[in-house]
Amino acid sequence: MLGFKFLDHRRWTMDHRCFKKQGRGVAMLFLASLLFFASCKKEELYVYEVNDVKVKQDKGDKNNVKSQTEFIAIAYSDLFQTGIDRATLEVLLSPYQAFGDQKLIEQMIIKSFLNVPGADVPTQAEMDANRSQFVTDAYVKFLAREPDEFELWHFERLFAEDPSITPQMFYFAILTSDEYRYY
Amino acid sequence: MNRRDFLKKSAMAAGAVSLPYLLPGGTLFAPTGSRIANHVVFCLFAGGVRNLESVHKIDGNLMPNMLTGNESISNDILGGMSNLPSPASTRLQTLGTLFREFRYKQGPTGHYGGHNTILTGRYDETISLAQRPKYPTVFELYRKHSSPEQAALNSWWVSNSLGPYPALNFSDDPEYGAIYGANYVQPGSMIVGMPQDPIQLDDVKLDKVASMRQFMDNNFTSKTTAKDAGITNTAANRKRIEEFLRAEYQNAVNGQYSSFWGLQQNTINNDQVTMFFAEQVIKEFKPELLVVNMQDVDTCHQNFTRYANNIRKADYAVAKLWETIQNTPGMANDTILIVAPEHGRNLQPNTISDQYGRYALDHTSDPTSREIFCLVVGPPSKVKQNQLITQQVGESIDLVPTIARILGFDSEIPGGRLFGRHLGEAFV
Repeated sequence: MLGFKFLDHRRWTMDHRCFKKQGRGVAMLFLASLLFFASCKKEELYVYEVNDVKVKQDKGDKNNVKSQTEFIAIAYSDLFQTGIDRATLEVLLSPYQAFGDQKLIEQMIIKSFLNVPGADVPTQAEMDANRSQFVTDAYVKFLAREPDEFELWHFERLFAEDPSITPQMFYFAILTSDEYRYY
Repeated sequence: MNRRDFLKKSAMAAGAVSLPYLLPGGTLFAPTGSRIANHVVFCLFAGGVRNLESVHKIDGNLMPNMLTGNESISNDILGGMSNLPSPASTRLQTLGTLFREFRYKQGPTGHYGGHNTILTGRYDETISLAQRPKYPTVFELYRKHSSPEQAALNSWWVSNSLGPYPALNFSDDPEYGAIYGANYVQPGSMIVGMPQDPIQLDDVKLDKVASMRQFMDNNFTSKTTAKDAGITNTAANRKRIEEFLRAEYQNAVNGQYSSFWGLQQNTINNDQVTMFFAEQVIKEFKPELLVVNMQDVDTCHQNFTRYANNIRKADYAVAKLWETIQNTPGMANDTILIVAPEHGRNLQPNTISDQYGRYALDHTSDPTSREIFCLVVGPPSKVKQNQLITQQVGESIDLVPTIARILGFDSEIPGGRLFGRHLGEAFV
């Protein structure tokens, strides 16, 4: 519409060539305007980032039973921060295969592990200093998840009420729990 | 044939088929819950023993503790026989009934198939090695159908080797399974691999651990099935068993498993170690149902003379087991001992000759490899004494119904679960 203001009748009659020249300019201006408005859209801002993803397992996500070998090897590395040597593993597998009550054998193996010097078990003082952290650390370390509020409350209260419970006893319980048998 | 004749003959045929299941075994009409004895010890004289060498004594009486008779051992193999203590004055045969012509009638004469049949009372020609039985084992039947249900501590399956045998303590039958299984133990591996130096927790602390574990287990969306964890003992029984296993480990360290029964150390074989361990189970737990498995005679694939010698050793071990039973208060005079191989061996030898010039024997389902014996021993008030049954009577699948009858749970087993019959001929 801007271009029609320049459609002057006198000039049209005076100099048709001049009009043609002006018309080309109007057309150019019209085109430029179109391009200008078309190109003047507000640029959208895209921000790429990573969504929060829980990398720890939920209780219900553990569907795979550890094999006997996995159970012993994982328990060992959890407690000693190093892999078990093959000879020790084979010796410990022997009673596992030789007795029908697997839980009993697991308990015997874990009790032995916990008594080996070098087993990474917090001291009583460390446990008492921050019970919440102690429980959380143990859950993360052995069960690959944080305790839920109820679990945390339960054990904090239990430890506070019963000072005879040692870190070893708690580790023994968690390492022989059903959940530890799964991944 | 007209319709009337057809129906008549069909009815007669049906009667002919069903009658043996109803009458001879007495399974269906046995009195509910009554027991012949409160303990059964079943000794699998396994590994494949030919009747020719055992009850037919073609190389002399290789089983002088079990069988009557003083037939001399063949001279050509005498050099391969270990020195064993003299047999007891009372032969076990005189304390019971010997089914001399027992049979393993169906299925390949392989060890695992034979064991599976004898422990489930079912012939199963399709079972694979180490596959759990398809049908409930005698342990599961005993635990589930006894009233009240029996704890695992009351049933033991003691075997001289690992291999597939751990799989026989319970079946894949969905109505039975691990929760009714036996305490399987293979003594040698158990002792060798015993986890050492445990943390010491008294009963109070163990209870607290159990309580914490229980809380965790309750809070876990449990995928644990009984099968995953094998059989289950109660916490109190686990404690007893652990103490027992550790004591036996200590006994082994102290040399008791290297020298026992007055045997020379170099003559003791794995069967005897297994039977010695079974004796300790008897003394400690007085189980109602104990099955012990021997296997060393299977050396016969390579060495006939060693096989003959191992028959002698197994015979001696059975006698010592019986002696222990009679010296154990609570089991003495209240225990039935059953002894039977799982299968025999071929009539024709293979091509392997031993140093005495005897050829070895395999077991590949020829008629001779189906010939076995069965000895039932018990107090005179319960078992017919000094009875020898020379006709072909009894088969492998009869042992489960017989044990069920002895322990009084036969009538509680649902119909169609028992396929053999009670060996009533042996009992008063």
